[in-house]
Amino acid sequence: MLELPGISTALLAETLEKFLAEELRASGLAGYVVGLSGGVDSAVSAALAAAAVGRERVLALALPGPTSAPESLRDAQAVAETYGLRLEKIELGSPAEHLAETLGARADRVRFGNLMARLRMVALFDRARTVPALVLGSSNKSEILLGYSTLFGDAAASVQPLGDVWKTHIFALARALGVPAAVVSKAPTADLWPGQTDAGELGFDYPTVDPVLYWHHEGGMGREELIAAGFPATLVDGALGAYRRNRFKWRPTVVARVSASCMNVDRILPRNPER
Amino acid sequence: MGRPAEKVIALAQIATCPGQLQYNLERHLDMVARARQVGAHLVVFPELSLSGYLLAHGVLEHAVRLDDPLLAPLLEASRDLALLVGLPLREGQGGISNAAVLLEGGEVRGVHRKLYLPTSGMFDEGRYFVPGPRLEPLVCSLGRFGVLICEDAWHLSSAVILAQAGVDALLVVAGGPTELDGGEEPAGSRRWHWIVGATAVTTVRPVFFANRCGWEEGVLFGGCSWAVDARGRSLAPPAPPMTETLVVTPFSRVAAARARTLIPIPYAERLDLWRAALENAGA
Repeated sequence: MLELPGISTALLAETLEKFLAEELRASGLAGYVVGLSGGVDSAVSAALAAAAVGRERVLALALPGPTSAPESLRDAQAVAETYGLRLEKIELGSPAEHLAETLGARADRVRFGNLMARLRMVALFDRARTVPALVLGSSNKSEILLGYSTLFGDAAASVQPLGDVWKTHIFALARALGVPAAVVSKAPTADLWPGQTDAGELGFDYPTVDPVLYWHHEGGMGREELIAAGFPATLVDGALGAYRRNRFKWRPTVVARVSASCMNVDRILPRNPER
Repeated sequence: MGRPAEKVIALAQIATCPGQLQYNLERHLDMVARARQVGAHLVVFPELSLSGYLLAHGVLEHAVRLDDPLLAPLLEASRDLALLVGLPLREGQGGISNAAVLLEGGEVRGVHRKLYLPTSGMFDEGRYFVPGPRLEPLVCSLGRFGVLICEDAWHLSSAVILAQAGVDALLVVAGGPTELDGGEEPAGSRRWHWIVGATAVTTVRPVFFANRCGWEEGVLFGGCSWAVDARGRSLAPPAPPMTETLVVTPFSRVAAARARTLIPIPYAERLDLWRAALENAGA
C-alpha cells in the first residue's frame, strides 16, 4: 500500500517558527492572536508561535459556544498552561443564540455551526485589532484539500502556518512539541454540535485519507490508479469527491477582471508593506 | 582552514524581504561589516539580494539602474573589498534583468544577467525579467569569476562554457525555494549540494554557492550556502538551512590551477562534439 512520506518534525518546527517570526516582522504588528479550540491544530499553531515570537506576544482566546463540549475549554486551558500563554475566555453563546434567532438559523445544526465558526472569526479579528496582531490560523492541508472548513470562519486567518502540513504530520509535530496527550489523542472535531467528529462527517479519518490525498494531489495519481494501488474505492471516491467539490474554498473569492491592471492577475505584488 | 589561502571569500546567507529594500540593504551592510572583520576580500550575496526574490510586478517599481542612489552605500563599502550583489536591473533599452553586479573599488566591475528564467511550477520569472544575452567571466582583483544565477547552474553547459573561458572559480548565487520531504535537510538544499559538487569536480574549479534563507510570501528558501575546492572538498562546512550566517572560505587561484594541472579534464573538452551537436540541432 502506498504511504504518506514521513517528515522531520524538528526541521518542520524550526522552519514554521521562522515563518511566523518573519511574517510578524514584515507586517510591523505586535503579536499573534490565536483561537484555542482544545484541538491539536490550534495547539500546534500556538506552540509554534510562542516559540517563534515569545509567549508574551501570543494572545490565546477560548471562544466557547452553546454547543461546545465541556472538555474543549478544559483542553484549551491545558494548552495555554503548557506554553505559558495568556488565555482570555470570550463567551459567544449569548450573541450566537441572539443572531441565530434573528436569522432563523438555530434549528439547522450546519447553519448554526457555520454561524459559530464565523462568530469566532469576528471575535479573533476584533481582538487582533486591539493589540494590534495578526490572526494565527490553524487550518491544515488535509482539511483544506477536502474543503472541511467554514469559509470565512475557521478558514479565515492572517497566516496559516499549518496550511501545507498533512494532519498526519501535525499529530507527530504535536507530540514533538509537547502538546498535552489528551489533546493529541482525542478524535478531531470541529465541535460545532454535540458528538460531532471529523471522521464521522467525512467518512474516514485523517491517517486513512492522507495517503490518498497525497498520491492524488502531489503524486498525480487518478482514481483508477489509486484503486489499483490498493485503496478502497469508497475511500478514493469520498476523498476525490470532496477534493473536487470544495476546491472553491482554496480561493475564497474571485474578482471579475475588466481592466488590464486587475489585482493578483495583472498586478501581483508582495503581500507585506513595502518600505 | 588547513590549506594555504591567498584570499578569503565570504558567502552572505541572508533572509531578504520583497520590496523592503532598506531592510535588505541593512542586511547587506551588516554582513559586509562582519566580512571585513574576518578579513574577507569578496562578499557574495544571493540572487536578488537587494530586492527580495518574490517581488513579482513589484520589480516595475523597485528595479534599479546602476547609477541608482540606493547602490551608493554598497559602492562605498566596496572600496576595500569586492561585493557581488543581486538586484533587478533596469535596462537602458527597456526591460528588467535578474542581475548579479560585481562591485569593487567603489565602481561596478561587471554584471551577469540571468540566462535561464524559470517559468514553471512556482516560478514565473519569464513574466517579469528579460533573459541575459551572454555568458562571460567577470573580473576583479581576486581573479576571473564565472557567475551563475540559480537556474543558470542547473544547465551544466553554463559552467562548462565558463570553464572554457578560463575562469578561476564559479560563484553560484541562488534564491532557491525548497520543500521539506522528510529528510534532515531541505530537499532543495540537498539538490544544490549535488550540483555544486558536480560542477566543481567536472570543471575542476572551486565553486562558491550563496543561497538565501528565510521566507517570502509563504515560500521557504533553503540556505545551506557552501563552498568546495576544485576537487569537491569542502572549503567550509555548509551553512545551516534556516539561519542568516556568513560562510567564510579560503580561495586560492594557485591551488585551483594546480588541481587542473593534475586533473586536466577541462582541457580535454571535445568542442568538435559541441559543434556537431549544434549543427544537428540546427543552431
